Amino acid sequence: MGISLWLMASSCYAHEAWHWHGYVSQGLIRAQDSNFVNNSGDWSSELTEFGMNASWQLQPSVRIAGQLMYLDGGQRYQKGHRIDYLFVNWTAHSSLDWQFDILVGRFKNMHWLYSSTRDVAMTRPLIVLPQSIYFDAFRDIAVGSDGVAIQSNHTGSFGELELNWSLGATPVSREQSRLVLSRQITGETEQDYVQQLSAFWRPVRSAAQYGISLLDSDFNYRADATDPYVHAWFNVQRFMLNWRYSAERFELSSELMQERIDATGFLAPNFKRVQFAQGAYLLARYQWTPQHAFIASIDKFYANKDDRGGRLLPLQSAGLIAPFFGYQTDLAVAWSYDIQKNLRLKAEMHWIEGTGRLGPNVVPDIAINRSRQHHIMALQLMYWF
Amino acid sequence: MTRIVWLCFVLGLWQPFTLLGAPHIIVHPSVPVEQLSVAQLRSIFLMRQLQWPNGAPIRVFVLTTQSAGHQQFSKECLQLFPYQVERVWQKLTYSGIAPPPTELSSDMAMLEMISATPGAIGYVEQYDERYAAKVLPLQ
Repeated sequence: MGISLWLMASSCYAHEAWHWHGYVSQGLIRAQDSNFVNNSGDWSSELTEFGMNASWQLQPSVRIAGQLMYLDGGQRYQKGHRIDYLFVNWTAHSSLDWQFDILVGRFKNMHWLYSSTRDVAMTRPLIVLPQSIYFDAFRDIAVGSDGVAIQSNHTGSFGELELNWSLGATPVSREQSRLVLSRQITGETEQDYVQQLSAFWRPVRSAAQYGISLLDSDFNYRADATDPYVHAWFNVQRFMLNWRYSAERFELSSELMQERIDATGFLAPNFKRVQFAQGAYLLARYQWTPQHAFIASIDKFYANKDDRGGRLLPLQSAGLIAPFFGYQTDLAVAWSYDIQKNLRLKAEMHWIEGTGRLGPNVVPDIAINRSRQHHIMALQLMYWF
Repeated sequence: MTRIVWLCFVLGLWQPFTLLGAPHIIVHPSVPVEQLSVAQLRSIFLMRQLQWPNGAPIRVFVLTTQSAGHQQFSKECLQLFPYQVERVWQKLTYSGIAPPPTELSSDMAMLEMISATPGAIGYVEQYDERYAAKVLPLQ
């Protein structure tokens, strides 16, 4: 026993600098009366997530970490593999009450409640996260950035405070642009920059955590000669509040956001529009037994806070775009079953009214998304190590 | 007064954890710390704090996450529910920020490992003085 523990300790020494982990999940999903997964509304196995990550501690204060992943979500996001993150992490200061880290490279978005692990199935409360905040068509742009980030953790009599700042940009593929802008584009989209700032505070002896985050980002679109659209510039600014309350058997979490979108061009050279979108969700999780949990959420989104019912949309589109493209309400229930420690099965159902969070959202898919009400059913098995 | 306590509880401003019968926090004798606050302990076990004040790396060991010992440690020492602790570990692991702690199966394995590993920290329900591990009081 003693020898084996000594050998284990030695092994920890030899390999402590090197860590690797991964996850794999496969599911079935059906999104009826919408283009969320496919155009047919049939059951689909396009619910695959696979990731492998590794980290290497070069020195006590310097680490390298990276993750390669493969995603297949049907029309929700671009299918294929990608480097999710690959960065150097320098711990610039580390004391028992304050840690200060600088990350350079491609890093995950740490600014929202589920942003850093929205692509890791077992860390999400739902298979399909509330789309008002975690819009799948925007997943690859929102999940991380290439640039520099700062993370700082403080503990004291005020409780625990986490501060994050990041500045970077994300490469945007044409497929990704088509999911957001329009299926017909032939030009290229570029994110000029995205700057984010967030703070999370947990008071002493509190069951609640509070957070705030700000985002500012510029995009440009370069139309080519055959493009039905023209050059465009977009500025997106997001203000968010989040909250989480944790009890032994249940947990509540909520995020609210307001997003200012300033668009110039795209539909016509002199086109100009500034619009404020709003969204919020409330999610409840109840742990019935150590293996079984139930989740329920309500999620609301308005594309234009000054036109919550979408009444202006038919007027602005010569009657082509129905009012229900201006909003989306999603009521979801889910069941989670831990079959083993690292093996979980999830099932969920969404009842959705409105199509405001179905891509593309600049030029909507009016041919497929003709129904004001639509549904999603999903089942996913996930394993991690 | 009762109403205020209830209001704080409902609003999440107060969490009624107790320290009765809490597990013992143990470290390798080389660790240059004589006591820790709950917040500092939480920073270490949530893998935010990766170095001791002298720059030596912290090596965190925990009992199997489904064990009663870990459940008790999470609630009474970290003042967090085990699912909260596990969620932070998963978030850090799968976003590349920090590796998760190493799991051990028993108090004896914990005592052996902490005694043999410089910079190590862990916890046991029953401390055994025959091992070299040092007990850290919680402030």
